[in-house]
Amino acid sequence: MTVAAIVPAAGASVRMGRPKLLIEFDGLPLIAKVVAALVEADVAPVIVVAPPPDAPEGPPVAEAARGAGAHVIAPAIRPAAMRDSIELGVRELGRLDPPPDGVLIVPADGVKIEAATVARLVAAWRERPARIAVPTCEGRRGHPPLLPWPLARAILDLPPDVGVNRLLADHADEVDAIPVDDDSVLFDLDTPDDLRALGVRTVRLFAVARERAGRPEVEVSLPCPATVGDLRRALADQHPALATLAASVRIAVDDEYADDAAPLSPDARLALIPPVSGGGR
Amino acid sequence: MVEITESPLDHAALTERVRHANAGAVCTFLGTVREMTGERRTVHLDYEAYPEMAAKKLDELEAEARRRWPLIEVALAHRVGKLELGDVSVVVAVSCPHRGDSFEACRWLIDTLKEVVPIWKRERWADGREEWIHPGLEGR
Repeated sequence: MTVAAIVPAAGASVRMGRPKLLIEFDGLPLIAKVVAALVEADVAPVIVVAPPPDAPEGPPVAEAARGAGAHVIAPAIRPAAMRDSIELGVRELGRLDPPPDGVLIVPADGVKIEAATVARLVAAWRERPARIAVPTCEGRRGHPPLLPWPLARAILDLPPDVGVNRLLADHADEVDAIPVDDDSVLFDLDTPDDLRALGVRTVRLFAVARERAGRPEVEVSLPCPATVGDLRRALADQHPALATLAASVRIAVDDEYADDAAPLSPDARLALIPPVSGGGR
Repeated sequence: MVEITESPLDHAALTERVRHANAGAVCTFLGTVREMTGERRTVHLDYEAYPEMAAKKLDELEAEARRRWPLIEVALAHRVGKLELGDVSVVVAVSCPHRGDSFEACRWLIDTLKEVVPIWKRERWADGREEWIHPGLEGR
């Protein structure tokens, strides 16, 4: 029984204030991480509905998804709502012959989604493939739901102003709760606070550091708690272009030079400070 | 006072600003864009700051200098952005009762500023090459 996935990834990240699917975790853009977990769990095809090609984040999101093994659709106009993106994915799957037996609807910001959790969900669904499988953790329902194909197709027939949750509500008696030992199924990445909760920090870059990275700031995933020394190692691992600088230049925490043992509070402002132009007196 | 600005620095106004009836000495240092560095010719410079931290460090420098010397007024100003040959990139102006302290304070301020204030310069050389100047980081 084949299981495909639709990853609606065309949103504008309004609450995050920047394209969240390009935020890097362990050196990989979020969208690539999500796709990779699905591919690893033998889900195929993975349809990613990307932002339009003329949106600044469109081409990099599409490229990252494709690189991780997704089949990418990039509509010319940004879908108005997630449900519209999902519809595009359903139509794409409908062109397959045969269509998949089941469809995972995967939020593109399922940051910590793990292949093992997806595999467990799929295995449970295969035992009762006419039903809907929804992962639960600590008694709460999470993402992603797995729908039998006929029900996924029914998304196309929903009234225009309702979302997929309505479908799940309408078919509540067909839902199987699948307990998983993975609280990431409950997590949504919407705001900068959500990011901090994941140990992802932004590091500002200047001068040669900005030039080498090709951008004014980078994300790093850090252990919790973390020190300046941890930040150096994480930068070097996750951003090889900065490896030599990360090992040698000063690091500022909250606008103050900090030594390697200094702890990083969750909301500390971080920056790499290459040697300043001092030099010849 | 401290200032980081993209506008040209008015060193005369900054000097005037630190003059005071109790000051017998005013010392102003100007850093200006040099054309020749050894055999190499500069076309222009670009300065970049980490603005929040640079302003904080300048404030700290002023406070530390006031602890060390009997300064009456202090002005620290750095320009950022694109600077042409001869432009003033940095101004340090201090006033004190006596000249010895004013020379010492001015020297300490500019030397320390160059070490700790996160402002960087990028050379645009006449041969077309460009490079960030990061002392101690060459080749790394």
